[in-house]
Amino acid sequence: MNAVQAFKLTKKFDSLVAVNGIDLEINKGELFSLLGPNGAGKTTTIRMLCCLLKPTRGTASILGHDIVKTPFAVKEVIGVSPQDTILSERLNCWENLALIGKVHGLSSDTVERRSKELLETMELMERAKDQVRKFSGGMKRRLSIAMALVSDPQVLFLDEPTLGLDPQARRTIWEYIAGFKGKKTILLTTHYMEEADFLSDRIGIIDEGNVVALGTSQELKTNIFEMRCMVVSTENITAEVMADLQSKYSRLEISKGRLKIYHKDLDFKGIVDYLHSRGVTVYSAALEQPTLEDVFIQITGKKLRD
Amino acid sequence: MKFWEIGKRNLKEIYRNPVLLGFLLGMPVAFMLVFVAATGGGQASPISMSIVDEDRSQNSSAFVQYIGGVDAIELNDPVYSEESQAQEDLDEGKISFYLLIPSGFEAAQQTQQTVNLELIYKAADPMIGLQLKPIIEAVGSEFLGVAPALNVELKGTESIIKNPAVNFYAPGIAVYGLMILISTAAGIIAGDREKGFLARMFTTPVKPSDFILGYSLPFIPVLIISTLIYLGVGMALGLTVVGNLGHAFLIFFLVGLCGIGIGMIVGSLVKSESQAGVSWLFIVPAAMISGAWFTVDRMPSVLRSVAEALPFIHAIDASRAVLNGSSFSAIVLDIYWLIGWAVVLFATGIVLFRRTMVS
Repeated sequence: MNAVQAFKLTKKFDSLVAVNGIDLEINKGELFSLLGPNGAGKTTTIRMLCCLLKPTRGTASILGHDIVKTPFAVKEVIGVSPQDTILSERLNCWENLALIGKVHGLSSDTVERRSKELLETMELMERAKDQVRKFSGGMKRRLSIAMALVSDPQVLFLDEPTLGLDPQARRTIWEYIAGFKGKKTILLTTHYMEEADFLSDRIGIIDEGNVVALGTSQELKTNIFEMRCMVVSTENITAEVMADLQSKYSRLEISKGRLKIYHKDLDFKGIVDYLHSRGVTVYSAALEQPTLEDVFIQITGKKLRD
Repeated sequence: MKFWEIGKRNLKEIYRNPVLLGFLLGMPVAFMLVFVAATGGGQASPISMSIVDEDRSQNSSAFVQYIGGVDAIELNDPVYSEESQAQEDLDEGKISFYLLIPSGFEAAQQTQQTVNLELIYKAADPMIGLQLKPIIEAVGSEFLGVAPALNVELKGTESIIKNPAVNFYAPGIAVYGLMILISTAAGIIAGDREKGFLARMFTTPVKPSDFILGYSLPFIPVLIISTLIYLGVGMALGLTVVGNLGHAFLIFFLVGLCGIGIGMIVGSLVKSESQAGVSWLFIVPAAMISGAWFTVDRMPSVLRSVAEALPFIHAIDASRAVLNGSSFSAIVLDIYWLIGWAVVLFATGIVLFRRTMVS
């Protein structure tokens, strides 16, 4: 049995199709990311799986519990960290964790033990007795994830867990999440490709309510995006040379002296020799792994942050 | 006991918010002080009255003197002999009304014909006429020795009640003050919905009844303390408790529960804290037609029926009655009505809240 299973899951808001019949199968212990731009349908999908939104069509189950027919059973096995860091601002860390633990039916001793573990893991113990309204965005985010974990859920939903954080705080959160890999089934939504790349066992790329690609990061980059990428640091490249390259290779990008050439079979030496022969200065050249951004552009024809 | 956990959270959120707590507990004190003082509760000021005596007879002079002897009236000097002078002063705003004793006053009295008096005030200020007419009628009847059409005999309580105005206004103000819990309770639910806290809680295994009870719980201590403040400040301002104070407390507690119940319904229906302000569209008219600030004895029967269907008029009438000495049996139907309303309101709140848990 899969931990999360969705079949033709659809959500319409009047004429807007937010999620358009997506199929998902997430294995137990897997960290699965839904990667897509804002408005792609990621949060709507999570909200349906958490029983906050009723699907217009299709169905889904969490550990075999139907999200429409048995929402209470679903809620007993999930933990959710919502996109907006939502905490009880005048409660301290202990009290926020106790609230979620107790409504899941845990005993005071269990709540205290788990809260202590989580506060230590999330490095919040020093400020544990402070009201959380005084916390930084990163601290609130860590507490929000701890709240999702305090009931020891089998399935964890993390909706944009690092949204709005600075790179350092983001990296810290990634490390905490990575620590739970294999122990929990995690469904994470993000529009940061680095985040999906760093954390995920598998990634579903979602755009305009459709899952347009599915696989491991490597599979997406190699199988779906079959081209390789060569990056050349250069100057004095002419329009004539660009036009010549354009006619031979699938895709070209040039920005701030960095020329990117995409093609299935790249002749590394041949390109460097050609540029030299046309009088173009080449400072460096390297083959580069395509990014998930490249995959996204390849599939949807637009950038993730469009 | 999940409701207890939600209740504890809400209790902490409210009691650690000094502004909200100050509003909830300061409001009863402020309300009582302002309302009772404004309505002349503590030391009622006498009504300042100007008189035009066109009759200039012995009897009319005696009548003027008689009016001057009434505690509630303070005569302005001088007594006008020409109406034109009084009219001029009224137009200029020097006086707000005058009583005209027309020529023929003495003759009418002696021949036992109808004695006419006129109370002249600006049409833009009709309350003066409404307030003074019964006073003039009573004073006039007493002076003339004419038996009033309705003989209201006051027994016992009049001598015990130190200040009837306070005993009239305090229960109404207390009920109105407790009705404001509708807006506060609705605002707290709506605020949590707006901030997304409720959505987070909806992903946990909690039933709608736990939410409703959990959101009502912190208002119970507020309700108890507010009621004690209303009664305490009222008594300090001259409220005389002739009947059973416990019965009065029970009435206030029950109407407060009804208010919280309505708050739960409004909180379930609105999506943001600002939208919770819509509850004022209910609170103020309901308070008016329930007689919180003035007597509604002459209210049109349709409005009276609406008011009587709601819980508030029952709470106001019953609390006034019990404070003035009525027994429990006299108010028991009002108590049942309030309990019934509280049950219906909370049940409705739970049903409506359930609908908001999934969209």
